[in-house]
Amino acid sequence: MKIIKRDKLKDLLNSFAKNAQTLAPVKENDTIKFLPWKGQGEIDLSQNALLPPKDLLFPQTEVMYRYTDGGVQGEITDVAAAAERQVIFGIRPCDVRSLTMMDDVFMTKGYEDDYYKSKRENTILISLGCNEPQPTCFCTSMGIDMMEADGADIVMYDLGEKLALEPKTDAGEQLLNDVDVLEDGAAEKPVAKECQLKADAEGLAEKLAQMFHHSYWEDLSRTCIGCGTCTYLCPTCHCFDIRRKNIGEEGFQFRCWDSCMFSEYTRMAGGHNPRPSKKERVRNRFLHKLQYFPERYGKVACVGCGRCVGKCPVNIDITRIIGELREVSVDE
Amino acid sequence: MINVQQLRDRAKELLESGEVKYVFGWRKGTFWYQSPPVIISKAEDADKLIWDEFCLNNLSKYLLDYKNLDGKIAIFVKGCDSRGVNRLIQDQQVKRESVVLIGLPCPGMKDPQLAREMGESKLNEVPKIEKCAQCLTPNPVEYDELMGDEVAAGLAVEERFVRVQDLESKSADEKYEFWQQQYDKCIRCFACRNVCPACNCRECCFDQSEPEWLGKRVVTAENQFFALTRAMHVAGRCIECGECERVCPMDIPIMSLNKKIIKDINGLFGEYDAGVNVEDKPPLGRFDENDPEEFM
Repeated sequence: MKIIKRDKLKDLLNSFAKNAQTLAPVKENDTIKFLPWKGQGEIDLSQNALLPPKDLLFPQTEVMYRYTDGGVQGEITDVAAAAERQVIFGIRPCDVRSLTMMDDVFMTKGYEDDYYKSKRENTILISLGCNEPQPTCFCTSMGIDMMEADGADIVMYDLGEKLALEPKTDAGEQLLNDVDVLEDGAAEKPVAKECQLKADAEGLAEKLAQMFHHSYWEDLSRTCIGCGTCTYLCPTCHCFDIRRKNIGEEGFQFRCWDSCMFSEYTRMAGGHNPRPSKKERVRNRFLHKLQYFPERYGKVACVGCGRCVGKCPVNIDITRIIGELREVSVDE
Repeated sequence: MINVQQLRDRAKELLESGEVKYVFGWRKGTFWYQSPPVIISKAEDADKLIWDEFCLNNLSKYLLDYKNLDGKIAIFVKGCDSRGVNRLIQDQQVKRESVVLIGLPCPGMKDPQLAREMGESKLNEVPKIEKCAQCLTPNPVEYDELMGDEVAAGLAVEERFVRVQDLESKSADEKYEFWQQQYDKCIRCFACRNVCPACNCRECCFDQSEPEWLGKRVVTAENQFFALTRAMHVAGRCIECGECERVCPMDIPIMSLNKKIIKDINGLFGEYDAGVNVEDKPPLGRFDENDPEEFM
């Protein structure tokens, strides 16, 4: 185990940044976000970043390739280059789990997404255990250990004045050996305070498979305003759209996040929309998390980070919904 | 404060008698500092209704979801909700006779974020949320029945544009830099548009893909196009409820932009408060021979 004093944290990040793009939770304009570390800024480890780190592997807007528009003479000029090495520092256990779900989506079931894979394989994750959850947190209900993070290369504990780092993979070990600002040491793992918010989604998928036409969805969706806040702040939501932008004789293909809350998400070329109202859209969001994803990948697509609970303008709270779905009778 | 039981009884009465099909109000949320909207259709659900310091949401926008309803809707209205209803009536989205407006004089709602930080024991000390601190019309401007007594007038008129003064004192380059910084934060969730009673187009231009007015890339140029188009589209029609700014997950000061436009419109075309009087035509929706024409 390696130890570093909190006031030496910048030195550690500076060391990482010499060899790799290093992303750390930095407070900017009152918001904590993962930003490239350039030696300056206010590192804020007090609570999780508002925007999930999925953007670092699956950017909200990503150019896929460029082309010249010359009819049959047109050619592809510039395919996105392979990713450079990056270190994500201070990622929380919930968000580490969310990346393993991204891996499921983008790298399994017979399809590998090169854009994602290239970044993922060049990414080192240094997790930070959560000593104290926010009121909106419920990760423990989703089977997450607030201190450990399966999938992280290095697990880090907050000891107050100090931070302890424990390598879990060869890449993590290597990274720590390459820096000289750490001291060897031992430390007791902190004991996390309990999450106040709870949800039990175990086995819910089977019930939901019989509830597609249930009146619950109509009731639930009434107050939804149909914005994309929940989906864009969600670390596991991964839908995207692919579009083209032409400028004169040249252009590029890009992809960008999309949200099942939006009207044009399922709108077809002829104008038909199989999800015409917010009832169908809200239903899709929750069935995707609680039924379709578990059916396909064997896990609930929620990590209990609480971002949607905290930011939904109308308090559509997935923990309450899980509870209500448990209660309602299938036949209604 | 108005007795919650009074609200519930009235809602129950309206639903039981069949006078209305739905009641829009607020319920208690996940945390003590949340009172989100609720839409009820059964008398027995009336007990879910609440009236406390956190009924922030403007309920008027939901009327759009029930445009083709055969029957009436009862809606509890604070000052801002009532102006929202007027906005929709003026924009010919809602008919006055299809809604029953139950007025609730509003003492101003508290800031849930600060409430969360300060704790429940200090509820009395929690300050008003910004949008309520900026409110000019805490009393409903339109209603069929009023619960409780009217409250004192809201923000003094001379304080209305304080935020704008700060912005106006900046140079053009500084203004550009400020707004670029703000809108570079935008994640394009469209919460501001979706919550806004002035955004009531049948199909929003930002949702059209043929032609694609707004590119889907989340980049400076597209974000600014979105922000400015929306600001100009609600010009003269913004009821200053501040919901756009409240719901923005990225804390973009959207109302500073809206207020600047209101100030300019008032300066050019005379004082006007959108949604206060349904008979007054919006300044950009009418023509007057005395309108300034400096550009001609």
